[in-house]
Amino acid sequence: MNLEQQLKLQAFLDGELPEHEAREVLAWTQRDSAAAALLAELKNTHQAMTGSELQSSLPESREFFWSKIEREIQRQKPKAAIASDVSFFVALRRWLLPASTVAVLLIAGFAAYFGVPKAGVENVADDDSPTVGNNAGHRRRDDLS
Amino acid sequence: MTRNEQDAIDLSQDAWIKGWQRLEQFHGESSFTTWMTRIIINLCLDHLRKQKRHRTDSIEAMDDESGGVERQMPVVTVNPTANLERTELRKKIDDALDQMSAEHRTVLVLHEFEDLEYKEIAKTIGCSIGTVMSRLFYARRKMAALLADARKEL
Repeated sequence: MNLEQQLKLQAFLDGELPEHEAREVLAWTQRDSAAAALLAELKNTHQAMTGSELQSSLPESREFFWSKIEREIQRQKPKAAIASDVSFFVALRRWLLPASTVAVLLIAGFAAYFGVPKAGVENVADDDSPTVGNNAGHRRRDDLS
Repeated sequence: MTRNEQDAIDLSQDAWIKGWQRLEQFHGESSFTTWMTRIIINLCLDHLRKQKRHRTDSIEAMDDESGGVERQMPVVTVNPTANLERTELRKKIDDALDQMSAEHRTVLVLHEFEDLEYKEIAKTIGCSIGTVMSRLFYARRKMAALLADARKEL
């Protein structure tokens, strides 16, 4: 009997086989005495162990056992509160740097796209801007002609 | 699983503390007992893993996987636990568990005492179903042999 067959016997005992395979194994154990003997051994062990966990009692009183757990929980509570405060600042710092970088880039992008106001040019434009450019253009065309 | 009463008490206390800390994660998909049992099992497994890291007997671990010895053992034809009183049987099983490797004992305890299916054990331990099956098989065979030896000594 190879290992695969042995494990199949065990799976049959534990009810882990699909129905058609379970029927095959059952038929096999009825005609093979070695398989039947191994199955019986596995079954005896399984039955002996079921519900046979050794019961042990606490060497200390139940109250003492629970009070130790309670004390440990109480001890860890302030730690957890500090940890949550710290984690808030850590998270804030973690987000603050990328957020401020993005903000700076956006401002720079807006400035580049819409143009930075230049005091000198604006002053000239305020005086007679519509005519300066046009006149210059006419002049250039005149020169060409 | 730990085979040490003090370790078991410490781990059970850790489990209750952990259960308290993670209470928000309990949504009632399983019973509270099942949920707490999972926490205890995981703590025991972590404890065993830590112990294993300190162990130097890697050859023993290899034997656990191959099951070379257990496969060769003759089949125990007589039920070694027949007519034994429950208390006596429990003691004999406990003594036999003491003589097993942590790998075999863990699978046997989870299957026979905690009533977990193969796939649940595999998920809990973090190994394949095939490994669970082979470890359980070798563990059962070893248990049968140890119980038979104990009966001969009577």
